[in-house]
Amino acid sequence: MSSEGFSIPIIHNSISIMTPFLLAAIGGLMTELSGMLNIALEGLILIGAFFSVIFAAATGSLLLGILLGILMTILVSWVFGAITIYLKANVFITGLATNLLASGLTAVLSFHIFGTKGVLMFEELPPLPSLNVPPLHKIPVLGDIFFGHNVFVYMSWIIVVIAWFAIYRTPFGFRLRGTGSNPKAMIAIGLNPQNYQMLGILISGFTCGLAGAVLTLNLGAYVPHISSGRGWIALVVIYLGGKTPFGILGAAFVFGLAESFSNYAQGFIDIPADFILAFPYIITAAAMVIMSIVQNRNED
Amino acid sequence: MESYLSMKNISKTFGVTGLKANDNVTLDVRRGEIHALVGENGAGKTTLMNILYGIMQPDSGTISLNGKELKILNPIAANKAGIGMVHQHSRLVNEFTVAQNVVLGAEPKKAAIFFDNRKAEAEVAAVIEKNRFHISPEMKISEISVGQMQQVEIIKMLYRKAELLILDEPTSILTEQEIQRLFDTLRELIKRGKTVILITHKLSEVKDISDRITVMRKGRIVSVKDTADVDEREISKMMVGKSVIFDFAKGEEGCRETVLSLEKVSIRKKRQGHPILDNISFNASSCEIVGITGVAGNGLTELEDVIAGLQKISSGSIYHNDEDITNISPKALRERGLAYVPTDRLKRGSSLDTSVKENLILTSHHDFMKRCGVFDDNKISEHSRRLISEYKIDGHSDVPIGTLSGGNIQKVILARELDNVKDFVLFSEPTWGLDVASSEFIYEKMLEMRARGVAVVLISSNIDEILTLADTIFVMYRGRLVAGRASGPDLTREVIGEYMLGLKDDFRGEE
Repeated sequence: MSSEGFSIPIIHNSISIMTPFLLAAIGGLMTELSGMLNIALEGLILIGAFFSVIFAAATGSLLLGILLGILMTILVSWVFGAITIYLKANVFITGLATNLLASGLTAVLSFHIFGTKGVLMFEELPPLPSLNVPPLHKIPVLGDIFFGHNVFVYMSWIIVVIAWFAIYRTPFGFRLRGTGSNPKAMIAIGLNPQNYQMLGILISGFTCGLAGAVLTLNLGAYVPHISSGRGWIALVVIYLGGKTPFGILGAAFVFGLAESFSNYAQGFIDIPADFILAFPYIITAAAMVIMSIVQNRNED
Repeated sequence: MESYLSMKNISKTFGVTGLKANDNVTLDVRRGEIHALVGENGAGKTTLMNILYGIMQPDSGTISLNGKELKILNPIAANKAGIGMVHQHSRLVNEFTVAQNVVLGAEPKKAAIFFDNRKAEAEVAAVIEKNRFHISPEMKISEISVGQMQQVEIIKMLYRKAELLILDEPTSILTEQEIQRLFDTLRELIKRGKTVILITHKLSEVKDISDRITVMRKGRIVSVKDTADVDEREISKMMVGKSVIFDFAKGEEGCRETVLSLEKVSIRKKRQGHPILDNISFNASSCEIVGITGVAGNGLTELEDVIAGLQKISSGSIYHNDEDITNISPKALRERGLAYVPTDRLKRGSSLDTSVKENLILTSHHDFMKRCGVFDDNKISEHSRRLISEYKIDGHSDVPIGTLSGGNIQKVILARELDNVKDFVLFSEPTWGLDVASSEFIYEKMLEMRARGVAVVLISSNIDEILTLADTIFVMYRGRLVAGRASGPDLTREVIGEYMLGLKDDFRGEE
């Protein structure tokens, strides 16, 4: 196998793999900037994954499935947000509760509706449309890497750009960051910081709904706990990306690459599969350590 | 003269406690005057102003401005009516520029959705120009001084077209020079037809700048006077209901033996281009109060942490009775007899949810054990009863300390620390935010320590406090000591202010 033939598919795949991380992290960034740690990302992704695929199967429409799935996720994030922000519950407890609720709710509904807590296959679902621009696709290397992905991939990039503009170039972004930095500054000028925190959470509901939809609709099936830690890694991605949209894009790519590599490596590298599958998580730990060292250096 | 703002029969009672913060208060302010609203902490000044600014709603009473009755439901409504408030602590976003902070909430836009930064800077520059501030709109808040932050707060209100400005304790964190600059600004604003309400408890300032005074005590208006007709002593008498002694007889200078000694103490980590602590050397001797002052951000906090053993130093040495104690643990320091009254009395000085009596044994709980290893409750209660009466603490020994007033919390901390004092005590900002009576009590205790031969280190950004108490005065600027002088008539507020701002430096060029 030539080195090019080996590395291009890995990079191509990593771009698909990074999409749910990226989406969840961008939403989580909005919550983070408003001054709250969103540990409910994991549960919200799961909600999005479950409802988008069953609604898509029930309605026979991918678009309706996605929309209703996102709507359900926003609804759950609203409950999480309302209890945390307006009823002033501890965000760690409510966040963990949201994650537990998501895994319980999906299992119960799955058993109640489909009679199984296991994998749900929806073979009649159409595949996600992918973007192929024939002339561009022929560009060597870049064409292979950047084209031929499903539409969610490109949507997530557009969302990164929109997020950047929203954060740095709109009054909303200024107020959101103002809330995170000094809520009293907001109160002093008559703005309610709680509303901006709520918006931060609702946006994370939206992007996690999308992130969940990517997982299940790409597969045409629902696997229990399909989010499998992506929400937690998305949290790391937010910090690793320096709490900026483009930083997050870069950090998400690193994780995509790590997971993509571990998928490939299982086939032919002679080390235990468990260890290879742990690779993305080792990267997570290493990245956090390196980042904290670098930060300390800079302060000195 | 016709009244401009009239607040009539305002009452406000706070929920559970039933505390009457404002009891039938009536306030009249005339157009174009600087009206001082004075009173001790808890007198109800801030509550009254929060009602005027729409942060709180009164239980009863009316507000009218220019003869028109108003309902002020929130700060936005207050801004619309032309009322602006400058809070005691900066309400600014550190990461944003001056202009961004000023326009936050009323942002100029382009293409209907985007924030127009250029327009924001131009509009803010115009306000700055017109009112003769010295600040540039594109500077970040994290790069400007506390005095400049206050200017930004005022600019913020002027940008919102405020005609009536409320300033809540604006001078408490400023240096002498900055205070004079603030007063110049206020006088300038009055010339332009604005009206100012100044909340303060510093009486010299009231005399200096205000036209009229309203004095509040325990939620009521005690007196309204023309400033020219009263002197400081009378005002203070009205505030506390009794006369306060401002001149302390410091007493004899006693023994002078070095107890604590810092030699070239440095923290090399840099902040704003200078080491956080840079070659700090001084001695604290028995029977002496060493005062260390400076503007916030120049190393006072770090020096406090170093002396309390909470921050390791990168070079230099610290000696206690000629023994090297450099970088030893806080526990070891405590065992050597360190007594410490910290700046942050709520987080560092006390455990808010635990009772007064438990707080009183935090540093000596080993002495209150029975032989079987559990607490001796009788002994603890007795200890607590004794200290509560000795330190005149207004609060029960079994209630959480967090339910006490600031002054009483500080007295509990004082009682705990001073009861076991050996030869050395560190006070940091001991009277910050406290009323006159509590401050006076703390000063007396400090002088009592000095008379008993204890070495006292007082870190304080309050120049008056330093001038009143300290025998030797050090000033910090950008992490260095720039002055170390015995107190005396030549060392005035103005001179210290010059050192604090780095205009004077006795030690430059040494080493």
